[in-house]
Amino acid sequence: MKPNRIVKFLAAALLVAVPVLAAQTTVIQYDCIPNYANWGGVTKAYQQKTGVVVPPDMKGSSPSMAALEAERNNPKADCVYYSGAIGYQAATKGLHDHYKPKGWDKIPAGLKDPNGAWWTVHTGHIAILVNTAALKGKPIPRSFADLLNPIYKGMVVYDDPRFNGTGFTFVAGISSVLGGKDLTAGFDYLKKLDANILKYNKDNIYNELLRGEVPIWINADGNGLKAKHVDKGSIEVVIPAEGTITMPLVMALVKGAPHKEEARKYLDWLLGSEAQSLMAESFFQPVMPVKLSPELQAKFPPKSAYAKAKVIPLDRMAAQADEIKKRWEKEIDGGR
Amino acid sequence: MPIRDSSCALPANRVGERRTVAPLLLCLPLLLLLLALLLRPLAHLLHQSLLLTDAPTAGITLHNYLEIAAVPRYRRALLWSLELSLAVAAGSTAICLAPAWLFTRYRFPGKRLMRGILTLPMTFSGMIVGFLMVIMLGRAGFVPQFLESLTGRPLLSGVGYQFPGLVLAYLYFEIPRATLTLESALAKLDSRLEQAARSLGAGHWQRFRLVVLPTIWPALLSTFAVTFSVSLGSFGVLLVLSIRRFTLLPLEIFTQYLAPPSDHGIAAAMSLTLLTIAFATGYGLRRLAGRGEIRHA
Repeated sequence: MKPNRIVKFLAAALLVAVPVLAAQTTVIQYDCIPNYANWGGVTKAYQQKTGVVVPPDMKGSSPSMAALEAERNNPKADCVYYSGAIGYQAATKGLHDHYKPKGWDKIPAGLKDPNGAWWTVHTGHIAILVNTAALKGKPIPRSFADLLNPIYKGMVVYDDPRFNGTGFTFVAGISSVLGGKDLTAGFDYLKKLDANILKYNKDNIYNELLRGEVPIWINADGNGLKAKHVDKGSIEVVIPAEGTITMPLVMALVKGAPHKEEARKYLDWLLGSEAQSLMAESFFQPVMPVKLSPELQAKFPPKSAYAKAKVIPLDRMAAQADEIKKRWEKEIDGGR
Repeated sequence: MPIRDSSCALPANRVGERRTVAPLLLCLPLLLLLLALLLRPLAHLLHQSLLLTDAPTAGITLHNYLEIAAVPRYRRALLWSLELSLAVAAGSTAICLAPAWLFTRYRFPGKRLMRGILTLPMTFSGMIVGFLMVIMLGRAGFVPQFLESLTGRPLLSGVGYQFPGLVLAYLYFEIPRATLTLESALAKLDSRLEQAARSLGAGHWQRFRLVVLPTIWPALLSTFAVTFSVSLGSFGVLLVLSIRRFTLLPLEIFTQYLAPPSDHGIAAAMSLTLLTIAFATGYGLRRLAGRGEIRHA
């Protein structure tokens, strides 16, 4: 290429690029993992509808809170998504603006902050996600107690609770599920489970479950159901016999959000029937009363499976969050 | 006839260097940039490391630094970091000698391609190398599955989640860097010295041991220094591999900053500890390499 051709080429490229980039509005959502609760599909639908881009963000619940704290004086994010307890904790630190999105009144009490500092978008449950092909003939574990069987050595994974809200909800809630009064029963169980653990992942391992790299993943039921029904993996979602933990997943408007108006519109849309149905298609229970098709409804586990689901008050979990993470680091992650 | 300098860290010709301040003036913009981009954050970090996170008004204290030595978890993280980096630096410096030598001394078909392949890992982030490790040597990785199809047993299954896997991933990362660093030094090597040695009857191994090695020794030292420093600060691989009961100091810093409850004071102290070690090692080895130069000049 001669120099003047290069100049012409660059000018043409600029002419094309500038309007495209200028037309592109973004809303930044911390904790927007494409393979969690179908955020990939939800944000794609929003972009197709409005042209507004919500880029993926791989931070888990706790790093999202940490980032908001670090950026308190110069916020970069517009909105944020967490598992309930961490979201509640972030709200107590004054990191959120108060906002009541459209449809606010329909969110059940207890699943929202009365002043709009946070609200639930959907709920999940802690479940045992099993890649049956990767078990290679071993029986499917049906309960938390089954997971302690030595035949599953090096096959079980749950998320590092210091990073991921789902892992935190499991670690904080397992004691109640096992009938413990305080956290001791839970930590005793986790210590025994450690013998069968492959790793405590900090990143998202949805694809590793699908590939069979991870045969057993303690995570949200919806992610397993999506792996089974949408991505057609050899996946079985087990609601443990002892019961499970109901996990609200919450959102908030960030205090000092740079694209406040756009973020509000997006947060409104997320509670609308279109987005709520998309979330249901990834098998997280929509918080709004949306009508699901009978086929879709049939793919959810029966209501009876969740009969023993524990609802642990978010304020209690949030108050103990720091202590629980420190204790996990000390007692499970190799001492201090 | 002085031997041409072969260290990247020093000017290419020590003979004819003049003492003058003009270059200093020319470096002024760079110095100002360094002040703004390096020293200001460093000063902030130093200040942070000397305050207690829980009681910032309590005044200056060395408590955070003492904590690194006192808390077994942090102490282990520091020692593991040092051990890993030393092993990786020694390994990659030794392993890269052959390819660097090959690239400078021989023309062969596919050389450019081979060089391209070898230098590819340098462009990857640690996390990508971590994912590669999981795919190759995870529980159901490519290698164990292949070995299972041959032997009926999934050999090496899950090695990626153990210490050997971590070392392997770091080597994969550092060998290209070491090769390139060394190759540029070898390229400057005066081949007439070897020709002289050959005409005096020295064999292959003798030429290498008595002529080449003493000449490239400084370059080996600086290669070691570079790979050591880079290894010391990287943790993306470990972030993905999540090796149980194992941690490195940079990962502890990351956890302190990003996984609340955060202790910024300790994190800052850890950062400066790593920085000091990396800087001191680099500086010390370069001094040593510099002395090597003078000895041969």
